[in-house]
Amino acid sequence: MPLILAEHLTKTFDAAGHDGSPVTAVRDVDLSIDAGEFVAITGASGSGKSTILHMLGGITRPTSGRVMLEGVDLAKLDDDALALVRRRRIGFIFQRYNLLPELSLLENVALPLVFDGMKESACHKAAMEAIESVGLAPRASHRPDALSGGEQQRAAIARALVTSPAVVLADEPTGALDTVNSRHVIDLLSCLVKDRGQTVVLVTHDPATAAAAGRLIRVIDGRIASDTLVGDADERAAASPARTVVR
Amino acid sequence: MNRLGLLVRQWRNRPGRVIATVASVAVAVGAVVATWLSADASREGYRRLAESIEGVPSIDISPRETGRWDGSGVPKLIDIPGVRAVVPLVYKPALLRSEERRIREVAVGVDAGGLVDAGFLKLVAGRACEGPDEIVVSRTLADSLDKSIDDTLLFLSRRGGYRTMKITGIADTQSLSALSDGGGVVIDIEALGELTGVRGLIDRFRLVLRPGASRQAVLAAVNERLPETLHAIVPAGRASMAHDMLNAANLGLDFVTALTVAMAWFIVGNAMLMNVTERRRAFALQRVLGATSRQISRTLFFEAAAMGAVGAAVGAVGGILAAGPIAKGIGRAIRAPDFAISYNPWIVVGAVLIGPAVAVLAAWWPTRQAAKVDLLESLAHMAPPPENISWKLVTTAAVLWTLAVGILLAVVTGTLPPRSAVPAGIATTLAFIATTPVVLPLLARLLAGLVPRPWRIEGALALEQILRQPVRTALTTGVLVVAVSNGVGLGHAIRDNVDDVLAWYGKALKADWMLLQAGALGVSRETSPSAGSGLVEEVSSIEGVASVQPISIAIGSAGGVACVIVARDMPAKEQLPLEAVGMSDDDLRKIVDDGGLLAGTALAQRLKVKAGDEVTVSAFGRTIRAKVAALVVDYTAGGTSLFLSREAARKIFGIDSVDALLIESTPAAAAGLREPLQAVAKRHGLLLQSHADLHATMDRIINGIVGALWSILGLGFIVGSLGVANTVTMNVLEKRRTLGLLRAVGMTARQVTRLVVIESLLLGLSGCIIGILGGIASAWFIQLSSQPLLGHPVSMSFRPAVILSNLAAAIAITAIAAWLPARRAVRLDLLDSIAAE
Ligand SMILES: Nc1ncnc2c1ncn2[C@@H]1O[C@H](COP(=O)(O)OP(=O)(O)OP(=O)(O)O)[C@@H](O)[C@H]1O
Ligand SMILES: [Mg+2]
Repeated sequence: MPLILAEHLTKTFDAAGHDGSPVTAVRDVDLSIDAGEFVAITGASGSGKSTILHMLGGITRPTSGRVMLEGVDLAKLDDDALALVRRRRIGFIFQRYNLLPELSLLENVALPLVFDGMKESACHKAAMEAIESVGLAPRASHRPDALSGGEQQRAAIARALVTSPAVVLADEPTGALDTVNSRHVIDLLSCLVKDRGQTVVLVTHDPATAAAAGRLIRVIDGRIASDTLVGDADERAAASPARTVVR
Repeated sequence: MNRLGLLVRQWRNRPGRVIATVASVAVAVGAVVATWLSADASREGYRRLAESIEGVPSIDISPRETGRWDGSGVPKLIDIPGVRAVVPLVYKPALLRSEERRIREVAVGVDAGGLVDAGFLKLVAGRACEGPDEIVVSRTLADSLDKSIDDTLLFLSRRGGYRTMKITGIADTQSLSALSDGGGVVIDIEALGELTGVRGLIDRFRLVLRPGASRQAVLAAVNERLPETLHAIVPAGRASMAHDMLNAANLGLDFVTALTVAMAWFIVGNAMLMNVTERRRAFALQRVLGATSRQISRTLFFEAAAMGAVGAAVGAVGGILAAGPIAKGIGRAIRAPDFAISYNPWIVVGAVLIGPAVAVLAAWWPTRQAAKVDLLESLAHMAPPPENISWKLVTTAAVLWTLAVGILLAVVTGTLPPRSAVPAGIATTLAFIATTPVVLPLLARLLAGLVPRPWRIEGALALEQILRQPVRTALTTGVLVVAVSNGVGLGHAIRDNVDDVLAWYGKALKADWMLLQAGALGVSRETSPSAGSGLVEEVSSIEGVASVQPISIAIGSAGGVACVIVARDMPAKEQLPLEAVGMSDDDLRKIVDDGGLLAGTALAQRLKVKAGDEVTVSAFGRTIRAKVAALVVDYTAGGTSLFLSREAARKIFGIDSVDALLIESTPAAAAGLREPLQAVAKRHGLLLQSHADLHATMDRIINGIVGALWSILGLGFIVGSLGVANTVTMNVLEKRRTLGLLRAVGMTARQVTRLVVIESLLLGLSGCIIGILGGIASAWFIQLSSQPLLGHPVSMSFRPAVILSNLAAAIAITAIAAWLPARRAVRLDLLDSIAAE
């Protein structure tokens, strides 16, 4: 059973167009992601990448089609149950604006556990572990605005990991970072996949970032244009694409 | 850290927002507490004022047809709520002698001992009289006769002989006159009967009411129990008109209080709305991270309750402090220096308990919005979507309008009591506010067109901000709408009512001096010491007297309703003392000259008669059917009065007394008349009152009422302005980012300030215009609803001064309110504001 199974995903935004006409951002997307995969979704701006990711993560509901996560149909869950899925099974990372400025790094990272009603000491311990794993332990008590963009993004990764989610969904996590910091974030995600078998789905514009993934999905105009398995990242230079499916 | 910790962090991160929200609650609660206390104080003040003028509120029971009776047929009344005592009274004009002086005085027969014990009759010296040989005299009389305790007076008995009576007590004049309608000596009721041959008969039972008891309610309850032959009436007197003014003023107080509560709602509602919407994005992010909507709403309700409790505590204390000076002002206005608000410590406790509930209720809608927030909002760099005017709002407005008009119609037609106009007035104001989001865009656009050309960009941006958030804008302007409509509405209503009474007063009692019959009304038939034209001639012959007009006043009934019958002639040339409804002065003069009967509007209203209808009128044992020739605006006995010429009164009822004498002096002689008139008054046992005395009394009433209402209104305005200031501040705080961005792209600090001030002014002006319309509507409401009280329409005037002063105040307030936060916004670090999130 795949970890994530999306069937006929379609998303239409009402009256979003300039003339008030509905915009179909995603059309009839089928997607299956197994545990341990590192998937990169690329495509032009406005092609529907983020929308796909949001539907996979239960942030928005598809207009039609369905998403199964670990065999559970997200469409069948009510808002509260969906919140629970987001809280426990999914880790989100965004381009920016995703740390609460009034909280310290540690508190930001602990947030999903706080919503889960976990005891303070346990929260603290788990959050500290997650922060250590992204190498920010010395800054744990700092406020986000005292950190660089790269550090903030690493903190966001720690927050995504703190609940040991089934899948990490990242929307242009390196979009706001320079090359060095981007590298750092990508390495971190690659390590997660390799060392922990963490499933990661990442949306990006950046070819270098996409290259780190084991599977590349190109989206054009709301449809999946190509879904390429690039094999092990280390062999990528030598090997030609192992499997190419062109639709 | 737990969820509470998260909340506390948010507070610490934005103390400004927390303080502004708590301050809003405090201002709102403070306003309600202060208004409530001051309104209570005003009511108490009005009551005291009325009491000081007319004595303790009371009701008299007497036979419908005859004069004295044996007191039979009166059922038990003391158990009626509000009745403090039931006192039998006998009035008897008497002749007293002290050495060579002979004095006419009205003797009152009561159980003096009982009354002194109960505190109704205050003695300044000595003790109550007992038996046939003792007497209590008023202090004024004692002073004028130079008598003190244990001195004696001679009392001319019926048999012609003098009886020597010992003065055992000296009564406080005010207290005695309140009890006896101007009587000067007190004798035991049985002894007086013995002495004057009316043994076993009494004139009336007087029901003394408890302070604060509703006279109308007691009257109704008493009339319910009385047999056909007896009736209960409010003692006629010069104080009744004060009562009618007070009725209108009390209605006004109810209005102010209720509108302040409404205003408080808007302030709290708006504060809660802004407090929440500012954090929408943060809530959306929390939901993405797995918070359920219930968690978010619980946190927000908890926060609202906490802020509500703190704000309410602060506000209650502030309100109490603010009410102090207002009560002092009222005390000064009614000249009662010891007048103070009764502070009830429970107010603070109550406010602290109710505050959180109110805050949670006010936070309900914004919280639900926040909990439902679109998760994408947190991810996109997207401003919250513009609010749409929902059909719900329009429906609400329509329902409120219907409700208001429905209640008003019911009040005007008499189906509902006048007080129901208060909720109707509130409904109108709310309807105005609910209509605000619909008309505001149009109004704001129009006003934005007036922005001077060089400031067009700022104007356009300001307009954009306003149009984007119609709900919030409506709430902000709502505060102003209430403040302004309060000011305009009450300003108009109060002035109109006061003017109405003053106009009547000026006409009806136009005289330099008045001589009033000190004895009770209604007994004059028997042996009025000053009956006939002897007195008129005596006064006319005094040098300096230009004209003398006698008036008889008697108590009778019309169509079964107790009323006052006034007999007076209409002057041939001068302005008439009465104003007819829908009739010229000449016609009225002719009707009176022809012996026609006029009915006061309140009486006509109660009997449901119009001009031309027939009524049954009884007085002094005679009952006739007569046609009501015309209706007149009158405040005698609250307008339950009948008028006819003296000659007609003499012919029909045999009324020939002189109960009041209006005296006009020749120019410049007015002051010099005091001495000779005082002498006449003494001789005939009359009360002399000068125009100046009367005017002072009137002024006192009016200043008391108007002063109290204005101070409460002023309070409302201050609160309104605090509310606006707070809202604008929060607006600016929330728009830090936008303003920072504008500056980053090249707007100067001055332009940003201007933008904020223009936005605030557009809001203020729109609110004002709607508020003025609302105010005129509510003035009209008060007017229409006091119509059943007065029985005639009070003409409504348009007062540009009231409107302009309200407008100016509101504009000044909004401009100043915007200035400070605008300055703040400009001083923000550019980087800070861009990074703020
Ligand atoms: N909340 C929304 N309301 C209306 N239209 C939307 C909304 N979100 C996205 N869209 C539209 O849907 C389409 C796809 O948007 P989406 O954000 O998925 O694109 P994207 O591929 O992520 O682009 P980018 O690379 O710029 O982030 C766009 O045309 C966008 O305008
Ligand atoms: Mg995107």
